[in-house]
Amino acid sequence: MKSAEDSAREVNRPAVAFADRRVSAGRLTRGTLDRYFVHAAVLPTFVVMVCVFGLPLVFSFYLSFTGWSLTQALFTGRFVGLANYEDLLTDPGFTGALGITFGYTAATVAAQMILGLGIAMLLNVDLPGMRFFRTALIVPMMITPIVGALCWKLLFDPSHGVFNQWIGQQIVWLGRPDTALAAIWVVGVWQSTTYVTLILLAGLRSLPPEPLEAASIDGASRMQAFWYVTLPMLRPFLLVALLLRTIFEFRAFDNIYAMTGGGPANATMVLSMYTYLMSFVQFDFSLGAAAAWLMLLMSMMMCLFFIAAIRRRETL
Amino acid sequence: MAAVVGSPRARRLEAVLIYVALTALTLAFLFPLVWVLGLSLKTRLQVFATPPLYLWWPTLENYAAVLTRADFGRAFLNTLIVSGSAVLLSLCVGAPAAYAFARFPFAGRSFLFFALLVMRMLPPIAVLVPMYVLFSKLGLATTRFSVVLAYTTFSLPLVVWIMRGYFETLPVELEESAWIDGASRFGTFVYILLPLARPGLVAASILCLQLAWNDFLFAAVLTNNATQTLPVLMAAFNAGDSGMDWGGLTASGMLVIVPVIVFSFAAQRHLVAGLSSGAVKG
Repeated sequence: MKSAEDSAREVNRPAVAFADRRVSAGRLTRGTLDRYFVHAAVLPTFVVMVCVFGLPLVFSFYLSFTGWSLTQALFTGRFVGLANYEDLLTDPGFTGALGITFGYTAATVAAQMILGLGIAMLLNVDLPGMRFFRTALIVPMMITPIVGALCWKLLFDPSHGVFNQWIGQQIVWLGRPDTALAAIWVVGVWQSTTYVTLILLAGLRSLPPEPLEAASIDGASRMQAFWYVTLPMLRPFLLVALLLRTIFEFRAFDNIYAMTGGGPANATMVLSMYTYLMSFVQFDFSLGAAAAWLMLLMSMMMCLFFIAAIRRRETL
Repeated sequence: MAAVVGSPRARRLEAVLIYVALTALTLAFLFPLVWVLGLSLKTRLQVFATPPLYLWWPTLENYAAVLTRADFGRAFLNTLIVSGSAVLLSLCVGAPAAYAFARFPFAGRSFLFFALLVMRMLPPIAVLVPMYVLFSKLGLATTRFSVVLAYTTFSLPLVVWIMRGYFETLPVELEESAWIDGASRFGTFVYILLPLARPGLVAASILCLQLAWNDFLFAAVLTNNATQTLPVLMAAFNAGDSGMDWGGLTASGMLVIVPVIVFSFAAQRHLVAGLSSGAVKG
């Protein structure tokens, strides 16, 4: 049985396919170490993955079906069936967090995509100095998120923040349920818009020029050329950017921890924050594990979309 | 490449508009950092001045205060040790696997690659909850080692993707001639491929180092006062008993981000491949 990935490689990369054939033909004539080279090369990665990823996930799956506290020995929790999941799904705190996470993710990703595409179009014009703008614009994305968020917290400060000083008021931006989430949204957009820009810029650079030239010869306006030629050709890149941003905004934590801690009145309580507080503040690890698994299932689904998108053409 | 079309006059006007738009965007994107850099160079009185001071004689007193704090130096060292070890571990473990992914078919290849992708993309908090429980029962919690292990959840996939992409660009003929000359698979990998892949190794290390340096969540849960990293210390400035320490917060924040800005400029060429999990080549 051949996976889609393997057959894609054989079609697209004759050199690699050739290497694969050579390797399997030569395998029998080599020594033992050579025969097991591939296994030896992959084994350490496999072991690390099982230790830091496989085992913890299996353990938290088990934990989510028990009632357990940190003072007990491992595996002595009482089996409670789906009670933890039932508790979560009937807890307005959790369902609220679910709604806020989806709303925040949708609003942030939408703004990042639109602004990111706009900036990519600007940077794609052939003018001197574009490297400087590109470099300057990626700084918010590269710096430590917690530092970026704390910088914004100072700007939003009610009594000494520069925003309030400019407008001459004392608005408690991060302490009001109606403005706190908007402030977090601004920081999220500021931080990761250039992520979208970089992916789309790589996409724009890789597009063949002929369709655009043909469109302009046929008398298409620049707006039409953008809408009917550039955007459709850019679709795979737009999809990758959209899925990756959704996956990463869905797990947003640092900015919210630094700026509001989930407050005021749970107005910025996203799922990561909820799970964190449940596990490491209330020390209810069973409920935390259940919340973690619900998050896992949701992001696993997004990952499957991502993989399906990149499988179609292994690399864009 | 989108060329600017139209009459020379229209073309010039358009170039001007593009520059204006990009300058405005750059100013907006950099404003928070520039403003905080300014705050870090102000005395306590100047920070709280209303209306805000735009021109002042800069002072380095906040930086002097931060740099003489024992916990800042310790956190700096911890961050360096933890992120450096995570990068080294991921390179040693991940580079051979990346080579295998790039060149050889083997059972479970697709599954393993899928698992690596998922490992990088799942919410860290979901791995952290059970990890903390297991580590604390094993007596590993609050050690630097536990943080290094936790960091491999993102640095190992990154190393494998970037190095796989890099190995695929190397010509197969090199390995073939080494094999014909009697070199073992292992010898070929260590003595021929790794030296050739050095630029890829450097790029992967820088991107991993940046992610590890920036991590807050894993370190916040898995460290204590003695083993905490810089981002964790930063968050503590924010929540002191006497309210926020503006001088300490701003000066240490600027010091924390200087290395990452240097890393990111060093790895700019490889950023896109790293960001997109190898889905887009930069």
